[in-house]
Amino acid sequence: MITMTTKTAVLLMRDDPKEPPRPQKMEELRGMAESAGYAILAEISQQKSRDRRFQLGKGKIAQAVAYNPDKLIFYNPLSPGQVYNISKEFGQTIIDRFNLILEIFAYRASSKEAKLQVELARLSYEAPFVRVMESLRKLSEKPGYRGSGSYDVSMYRDIKGRMAKIRSELKNVEITGQVRRQRRRDLGFDLVALAGYTNAGKSTLFNVLTEETVMAKDQPFTTLSPTTRAVNSKERSFLLTDTVGFIDDLPLFLIKAFRSTLAEIVQADLVLLVVDLSDPPQILRDKLIACHDALWDCGNYAPIISVLNKVDTLTEEEVAYRKSQIQDLSPNPVVISAKDKRGLSDLLNLISNKLPPLKEFEISLPNNEDGMSQLSRLYQAAEVMNVQYGEAIVVQLKGREEMATRLLKRSNSKDISLISGMVSGEEGP
Amino acid sequence: MVAVDISGRHTVNRRYLMVCAAVVVKISPESIEKIYDMKLVPQVSESIDLDVVVTLIEKAVRGLSGVVIAEKGDLYNQERWKIECILSRQFKYPESLGERRAIEFAHHASFAGRNLMLDLLKR
Repeated sequence: MITMTTKTAVLLMRDDPKEPPRPQKMEELRGMAESAGYAILAEISQQKSRDRRFQLGKGKIAQAVAYNPDKLIFYNPLSPGQVYNISKEFGQTIIDRFNLILEIFAYRASSKEAKLQVELARLSYEAPFVRVMESLRKLSEKPGYRGSGSYDVSMYRDIKGRMAKIRSELKNVEITGQVRRQRRRDLGFDLVALAGYTNAGKSTLFNVLTEETVMAKDQPFTTLSPTTRAVNSKERSFLLTDTVGFIDDLPLFLIKAFRSTLAEIVQADLVLLVVDLSDPPQILRDKLIACHDALWDCGNYAPIISVLNKVDTLTEEEVAYRKSQIQDLSPNPVVISAKDKRGLSDLLNLISNKLPPLKEFEISLPNNEDGMSQLSRLYQAAEVMNVQYGEAIVVQLKGREEMATRLLKRSNSKDISLISGMVSGEEGP
Repeated sequence: MVAVDISGRHTVNRRYLMVCAAVVVKISPESIEKIYDMKLVPQVSESIDLDVVVTLIEKAVRGLSGVVIAEKGDLYNQERWKIECILSRQFKYPESLGERRAIEFAHHASFAGRNLMLDLLKR
């Protein structure tokens, strides 16, 4: 486990005067800052239209600096010029919300893939800053001019070069992931992905369904790298993948950097959109809109089940009211409590109904050692309904089409053949 | 719900050759369930601003019932209430996947409609 030294910070947020105040945003920022290991000295918010030079009023920034924190954390995104102006005027280290997210990611990234994604996201974020900072500094001097140092522009080029290298490495990771997912499909597995706002309880649900023990905590961005495990329910077995959580105003560069992770969602047969129903209705709506935004940006076309989690903290009336408030944003809702293991059988039933229907096949295998080993594989990959032993082994089974195709394609033996294959009468998604 | 999209918001020979598509759809939170009606309205304009866009949308949605939805960028990122006041009918920006898919559908319709119009103009 990574231990973080205590750093101090003051949180700053500017609310648009034309829009209602958003105290929940400050709360979210506090949660993220604490999650990154900061001790919060103060929270300062201001209702003001955007200040071109400093984002907030100068007086408010001076008020924050008076607390003498290690860092000032802004909720609003800062432009390269604003970062330059504030750090020059107040001599203070400043970061914005995106930088804070990147800090958390950097602390938690454990796999090579996650580390590369975080580095790519950080470089994508910093590249324009470096460009502007350097051009602002070069207004008065030209380091490296006729000297031994390099021109400042080379730093920006270095960043761009490193980004290209990481992208190509991540492309390989993505291809490996695609091959792995296709192989899982060929083996007859259905792929189900967990998606949802950060801290909605995805990992807790994952642990309950798979009887695993991945880290699940009441803090944002506990999961960064996807984890896949099998769920063996009596209705239908499938592979469940836990993924990174979404967040409001997720910048495009972050979505692009985490493309290989989000591919787990895009290429799934079914997406479980986990929602924290204990949030107040308006926040619940805002978070769901952010999830729909992110799913749209990912290019998700898989059917969705809305898993309304944490109902153990609510009364029946509250559940009914909140459900009605989000009915236009929650496809196929099912109410559960991952903590109390409530509603899980309803969820498994719904998953079984929404997954692509299984097909019925009749396959003939040679009645020899090779045929027996193929039969043993079929027992793992599909639901074997009937086996008749004669000159050949005739197997009636229910499974994914990819599984039967793979069996026929891979087998060199002419004795293996498909006798019949028809769509079963199950209801599709 | 009436999903709206405008194609051709760029100059061709110093003119804006626009086509606005309005599609009446029934949606679920994640997809389009049914398409009831569709209307394409062409317009040639010398300039473009919020007034021109809203007037074009107004023409396209006339006679079609339902809440109007359009991309925020199409309406210069103006606040919802402002557009609702100008249009004098219920309006919203897309929130769910279903609403986004409806606008995407309207986009395909307006884009195809504009290409047809350009083909006719060439002849």
